[in-house]
Amino acid sequence: MTALASHAAAPTGARSRLRRLADSERFLAWALLAPAVVFIVALVGFPFVLALLYSVTNVTVGTQSASFVGLAKFRQAMESPAFWGAVRNTFLFTLVSQALVIVLAGTLARLLMMEFRGKWFVRLLILLPWVAPISLGSIGWLWIFDSIYSVINWTLRHIGIFGPETWPIWLGQPTLAMASIITVHVWRMLPLAAIIMLAGFSGIPKDIHDAAAIDGAGFWRRELQIILPLVLPIVLVAVLFGIVFTATDMIVIFIITRGGPFDSTQVLASLAYYTGIDGGDLAEGAAISLFLFPLLVAIAYLMLRLARRTEVT
Amino acid sequence: MATVETRKISKFYTHEQAAVDGIDLFIPEGEFIVFLGPSGCGKTTLLRMIAGLEHPTAGDVLIDDRVVTALAPRDRNIAMVFQSYALYPHMSVFDNIAFPLRARQFAKAEIPGKVRWAAEMFGIARFLERKPRELSGGERQRVALARALVREPQVFLLDEPLSNLDAKLRTSARDELQQFQRRIGTTTIYVTHDQVEAMGLGDRVVVLSQGKVRQVGKPLEVYDEPADTFVAGFLGSPPMNLIDRGSAILGFRPEHFLPIEARETGNDAVRFTFRVTRVEYLGADRLVYGMLEGGAGEAKVLSRLPSTVPLPVQLGERHEFVIGRRDLKFFDRQTGLRTAPIPL
Amino acid sequence: MSEQKTRGVTRRTFVKAATAAGLAAGLGPFVIPRRAQAAKTLKILQWNHFVPGYDKWFNNTYIKEWGEKNDTQVIVDNVGLVTLNSRAAAEVSAQKGHDLFMFLWPPPVYEDQVIDHAEIYQECQRRYGKPIDLAVRSTYNPKTRKYYGFSDSYVPDPVNYRKDLWDDVGMAPDTWDDIREGGRKIKQKHKIPVGIGLSAEIDTGMAMRAIMYSHGSSVQDAEGNLVLNSPQTRECLKFVKALFEETMTPEVLAWDASSNNRMILAGKGSLVLNAISVTREAENKKMPIADQIWLAKAAKGPVRRIGLEHVMDVYTIWKFAANIEGAKKFLVDYIGNFRQGFLNSEFYNFPCFPSRVPDIKQLLAKDSKAKPANKYAVLTDVLDWATNVGYPGYANAAIDEVFSTWVLNTMFAKAATGATSPEEALSEAEAACKRIWAKWKEKKMI
Repeated sequence: MTALASHAAAPTGARSRLRRLADSERFLAWALLAPAVVFIVALVGFPFVLALLYSVTNVTVGTQSASFVGLAKFRQAMESPAFWGAVRNTFLFTLVSQALVIVLAGTLARLLMMEFRGKWFVRLLILLPWVAPISLGSIGWLWIFDSIYSVINWTLRHIGIFGPETWPIWLGQPTLAMASIITVHVWRMLPLAAIIMLAGFSGIPKDIHDAAAIDGAGFWRRELQIILPLVLPIVLVAVLFGIVFTATDMIVIFIITRGGPFDSTQVLASLAYYTGIDGGDLAEGAAISLFLFPLLVAIAYLMLRLARRTEVT
Repeated sequence: MATVETRKISKFYTHEQAAVDGIDLFIPEGEFIVFLGPSGCGKTTLLRMIAGLEHPTAGDVLIDDRVVTALAPRDRNIAMVFQSYALYPHMSVFDNIAFPLRARQFAKAEIPGKVRWAAEMFGIARFLERKPRELSGGERQRVALARALVREPQVFLLDEPLSNLDAKLRTSARDELQQFQRRIGTTTIYVTHDQVEAMGLGDRVVVLSQGKVRQVGKPLEVYDEPADTFVAGFLGSPPMNLIDRGSAILGFRPEHFLPIEARETGNDAVRFTFRVTRVEYLGADRLVYGMLEGGAGEAKVLSRLPSTVPLPVQLGERHEFVIGRRDLKFFDRQTGLRTAPIPL
Repeated sequence: MSEQKTRGVTRRTFVKAATAAGLAAGLGPFVIPRRAQAAKTLKILQWNHFVPGYDKWFNNTYIKEWGEKNDTQVIVDNVGLVTLNSRAAAEVSAQKGHDLFMFLWPPPVYEDQVIDHAEIYQECQRRYGKPIDLAVRSTYNPKTRKYYGFSDSYVPDPVNYRKDLWDDVGMAPDTWDDIREGGRKIKQKHKIPVGIGLSAEIDTGMAMRAIMYSHGSSVQDAEGNLVLNSPQTRECLKFVKALFEETMTPEVLAWDASSNNRMILAGKGSLVLNAISVTREAENKKMPIADQIWLAKAAKGPVRRIGLEHVMDVYTIWKFAANIEGAKKFLVDYIGNFRQGFLNSEFYNFPCFPSRVPDIKQLLAKDSKAKPANKYAVLTDVLDWATNVGYPGYANAAIDEVFSTWVLNTMFAKAATGATSPEEALSEAEAACKRIWAKWKEKKMI
């Protein structure tokens, strides 16, 4: 007892200092944030600054020294039709897949809110694409779309939807190829969006649903006039994430189509890789990859503002 | 306006535990009825089944003699006010109040007039353009009431609508609510755990516990003539003294337990020796804590004395206290139900 | 390219890579640096060879023996082919990495970062005789007079065809016109198409250049001037369009580098252009179709018979390498022992110093696995019909970017499918080439 008391009365110097530090909110905040800050600076900030620097020089993969060339690399990139094709494809890819993601994620989130047996298992399955490495999933899709062994074609033929002469080449025709990469991307983005929207839907108090039911709102009125406006801020966040992820993604395209057939699925991110790394012109690759940056910043700003404005208590 | 009836209505969430256990009720047209009980007694579940928000496991709900058990809430012509008010946060007050009208396809031209009428009824006409978050708690509550009123439903269902208000506001809101109900005369079911609200508002009170109705009656009936020990112990603040007296339980209200000097004694009074242990001053009243002595052993009881009555006793001293014979209630030890008086 | 490129993407590699990554991430902090047993260390990075036996021999036998003799610990890191470019870029940017870095194509863009490999060529020439012209043209920059790499071997790119089907229509794929006509007949009769890629991948790049060179068309002339816009190129575009329409299906537009292997091994193709990996895989897996897939020399065009190498081994030594002398010696010794390399690659890698496999003709004429045993004999005169990317000039930085950004693949695919007219496809490609030329001229690399 005496030992305990003396201990409590006079803690050792180092320990008390530590305890004082742990109690200091300012110190603690910084200590806890530091790993994240280091992570972001090292893996996001540094490469971004590097890309900015590269884009205004004539650096190649084979040179360490480079001279300042201003915006020449941007001009160079913009002179090529392949670049404008990639801009168009990026927009198409992003907008269509995001539209699908939002509609499907909304539906999925609603389904997940229902109570049914084995719900945890379904939730797990739905989360799987997000958790699994994207390259693994994409390789799976590569086989699904394979020109010889396509699982889709095989199945549709065996259940009699395709005749013996029908055998679409999913990755060989520009429209189908675009549809294919959009499919893969939707598959990939859906879990995150669904979970975000699930959070949004769960955040609507039960009373509001009840009130709408009592007030006589039918399905569409409830969806469009009550639920949609209430989840809008969070949906906007999901869309924003989706747009940024989609517009800057190259893994799906790199693995599935490599931009083909004939550049019809080439997006800015993949074009930047082919130009910068495989083609060796790091500077132009950097310029291409930065092209969307101002636009994405603008979109992010607008969406966050909108989300704030529609925020409700 | 309509009657509301439940027939053997039950709700089981699990197999063992009934939230509502076979309740029969009849609520006549225009009545203001209060469901009162501690939390978890099934009062809200009962209300939600009447609203159609929950489906009963067994039994039926009738509105105006028509079985509505299978109907959706919107087909029952009822309105409901929630504890949280459940205002649509993204809509203006006007749109909130207009929402039920629009949902019911009222003619566009009619809507502004009706909204204004409902808003004026609750004195919130000047807030019509505001969003709910710009209003105070009391104002929000009025918006919720206006939204319920605007389409003139057959029945009002109110689920603890005052519990989010502060105490002062609650008193005036209670008053307004009752006046309003008297004026429009719509059948109203009001759910609360607050006995003051129940006493003050209800034409009749339904006391519930563990999914069952313990007593139905006018507020004073329920207070003065509790049907069982639960009602006796639940109503009143502090509640009825309940003491063990052999085969029966004896009950009396603290305000009826007075020093012998404060009451004219006669044949109708019963005397007790009371040892005072503590006195609590509550302003208008005093609560006197102590032990009842003699007879069948000691028992803890209290007395509630108005400050106008002198207390002729010091702490630790014994004194004679009396109770009017008709103020003594007797309950069966086994069932807890009221029984006939037994000789003391 | 055959299986090797597949490996970049197949499950096997993927699982391997994923496991490795997982292990690296998980065990990273606990990995104890290898104890240097020898006085020196030599670090080599090269691809996962398509012929697994080669890696087994190289990693487990050859480098150990060489290391003992030279008191050096040799460490080999094998990576997937598709990651070579990004690995190289990473090493350069870190100015740190392997002593020997093997590309599978000429890497002229790294010229500033590597030593002049002339000395290695000179030493090998002194010991083993002259290197083949293909090797020099794939590693030498005439503008700067620098050898930016050293090529030990190359891989022939013959025609692989289904002997049974071609016999059935009474033809053999000797010329491009034969391929078009026979391919059409087989497709009509058996519903089995030709499989020459029209996609953004290396095999397509090689096949399209084979068509161009044999028709007298090319991207540059011998002096390195841009000459893509020519009547011959227009001829080629028309030819490829006809070839696509008459003998193929749109599947070739979707291909990766291994699709043609899969196609012909699955019995779904009548002819592909590929390394002998196709027949080797069939033989090693004892597939019944193995005996029906025969090889032919690169097809003859209106101008001449010519094709490409399938891949080109190019070893480079970074200026910043830690053990430059060891790396040089390793290469010279490796050429000396190349006959083992040839045998262990199952004839996949052909020597750049022919004197090192003097009996190549006899070996090719009598193979232990092939039926008939002389199936590979058509490769005997491969040097008469195989050339480098950049023919008739050198493989330079501009040629490399044109190749790696798939400019010609896109041009042919667009014209073949009718997405644009041949004329438009050509002018777009020419504009792209002009931009690329201007860029590298400005850098004084061409």
